[in-house]
Amino acid sequence: MTEQTPQSQLSPAVNNGQPLLEVRNLKMYFPIVKGIFGKITGYVKAADEVSFSIRPGETLGLVGESGCGKTTVGRCIVRAYKPTAGNIIYRRADETNVDLAKVDNKELQTYRKDIRIIFQDPFSSLNPRMNVYEIISEVLRVNNMCSPKEMEYLVANTMEQCGLRPEYMRRYPHAFSGGERQRIGIAHALVTSPRLVVCDEAVSGLDVSVRAQILNLMEDLRRDMNLTYLFISHDLSVIRHICDRVAVMYVGKLVELADANTLYTNPLHPYTESLMSAVPIPNPDVRERKNRIRLEGEVADPSNPPLGCYFHPRCRYARERCKTETPVLRDMGNDHFVACHFADELELVGVRMA
Amino acid sequence: MADNNNTLVQVRDLKIHFFTNEGTVQAVDGVTFDIRNGQTLCMVGESGCGKSVTARALLQIVHRPGKIVDGDIILYRKRSHNQTEEVNISKLEPKGSVIRSIRGKEISMIFQEPMTSLSPMYTVGNQIMETIRLHTKADKNQARERTLEMLKFVGIPRPERIIDEYPFRLSGGMRQRAMIAMALSCNPSLLIADEPTTALDVTTQAQIIDLMQGLQKDYDMGILFITHDLGVVAEVADNVAVMYLGNVVEYSDVRTIFHDPQHPYTQSLLRSIPKVTATREKLEVIRGMVPSPFRRPSGCPFHPRCPKAMPVCSQVEPHTIDLTENHQVRCLLYDKSARNSVREMAQ
Repeated sequence: MTEQTPQSQLSPAVNNGQPLLEVRNLKMYFPIVKGIFGKITGYVKAADEVSFSIRPGETLGLVGESGCGKTTVGRCIVRAYKPTAGNIIYRRADETNVDLAKVDNKELQTYRKDIRIIFQDPFSSLNPRMNVYEIISEVLRVNNMCSPKEMEYLVANTMEQCGLRPEYMRRYPHAFSGGERQRIGIAHALVTSPRLVVCDEAVSGLDVSVRAQILNLMEDLRRDMNLTYLFISHDLSVIRHICDRVAVMYVGKLVELADANTLYTNPLHPYTESLMSAVPIPNPDVRERKNRIRLEGEVADPSNPPLGCYFHPRCRYARERCKTETPVLRDMGNDHFVACHFADELELVGVRMA
Repeated sequence: MADNNNTLVQVRDLKIHFFTNEGTVQAVDGVTFDIRNGQTLCMVGESGCGKSVTARALLQIVHRPGKIVDGDIILYRKRSHNQTEEVNISKLEPKGSVIRSIRGKEISMIFQEPMTSLSPMYTVGNQIMETIRLHTKADKNQARERTLEMLKFVGIPRPERIIDEYPFRLSGGMRQRAMIAMALSCNPSLLIADEPTTALDVTTQAQIIDLMQGLQKDYDMGILFITHDLGVVAEVADNVAVMYLGNVVEYSDVRTIFHDPQHPYTQSLLRSIPKVTATREKLEVIRGMVPSPFRRPSGCPFHPRCPKAMPVCSQVEPHTIDLTENHQVRCLLYDKSARNSVREMAQ
């Protein structure tokens, strides 16, 4: 199993071209409120015209620096937020489509079991007053999904799949280590047999040896349960490891989307190039050979982004056009999308090979 | 270990125990290492292995219920030309005047979270000036001058404005720069950086690492860099100490650690990291988890998770073995005499 290419691991459904989830022009604006009358003085554009699709069986990575809106996009998909505008087209199991951005809260309940989320911090995301059984079964109980007897069986079964011992079902979260807690978080997401799982920095808070265990577990579960992941992370090595395709965000906008290998070896957006260049490579021989790109300055303020291309103040290839005209995400062929005026001309380098 | 004239700090057999209600935790259990002038020692290990506590011990800021119970921390203080004075930090009174003259002056520290380690009540400038005025004879204006200089030096744009800002107005990267400015304001000979880039984005991390390396060259500082990110280690380290449950299990220069690791823990750790350069395949894992500090395994503390464990590993605690002059490992695989003595006892 280990030697197979990512493509061959995908379910055949990928090839019929119908995405499981399609995000179109998603906008999520948070109002900035000032004064006692709640006057709205501006908006933080956390996600601005974001479009991408997730194919059944694949793992789509979403990367970017903190504050770029990747978590916001994830939360819109699980509908923790109601998007300001745009569509989230979800393809149901019976092959009909529904726009999750439009449905009301009541109807939304039917999709809550299909689309689940795994959170970053296994310490604050588990209720300390509930035992593991209560945490994992909560979603089943609230949605009246099964009888109490089945519930216990289902929870035990899911715990076992996630590498937890079902005997510990009545224990409280404090009795578990960080890695075990993250397993509880995963069991909590998977107990409803979802179709799409949003993993929001699911392995970022874990130690190296535990992180490897959890990554392997998630990969096994994806295969066994036919899952589709949206994997949000700022760690480019983890994304490379687990994702089939990767989307890069910068200040609320999608700047590049491509197959993982292509993106890492042949990026087309200058921001992606600088991200790749900043990744520390665990090989001491590489450091002498570096001609690194160092990004100057800071991430733009999403409530007051620069004109034109948001990246132009930090971009070393920026020209006049970049200061005035906002680039749109365009197809460069082979499913490689990029939002840069000069993507055809620039010769960018990918990740430094060890 | 090495010639003494370039040694800045010598830590010998350091033991720090935490006396809690549930029992004694041996957080650091006999740690030995050297830090040399102008070099970076990286300390790697998973959470709970005692790396942060060791660093805090160098400043005598191990907080209760922790206590340095044994061992020496010798600091070679630079006096005038070629003159050094030895101070044993582990024997100093934590609130005494000697350690207070060392803290922030000769040894300073950058903490992991720039969000919580700056006081929200004072402006950035105020906090840096405090250090300067405490350790030098500078008056208010001179201290302010020096602070502006430092802020500029660490790459903060518009220092004249930032100096009067409160920390919450700065981004994470800027706050970490302000922390570095504070730590460097008195030209320390040793900088302790406890996960200085863990909370930062890759691009900011790269900026901060560059900055620290540049400063090290300029000032000939020794750096003790604590991290769990092996990519960062490969980039900054001269020497690496790998820690597991309160012991340094392997110590060598960075190339040896990455290309020819000898301890099974180092080997497994290196194999369990996902690489940007490699395509998708199953990661090797270290089975199990770091044991609870209250239930420290007998013998070698790593033996329950070790892929190369032998029956003797659960009985005998390994000692540090010199493989070469600059490569120490703490594992029974390399200790024939210990293995033989067990065999004799069994017979």
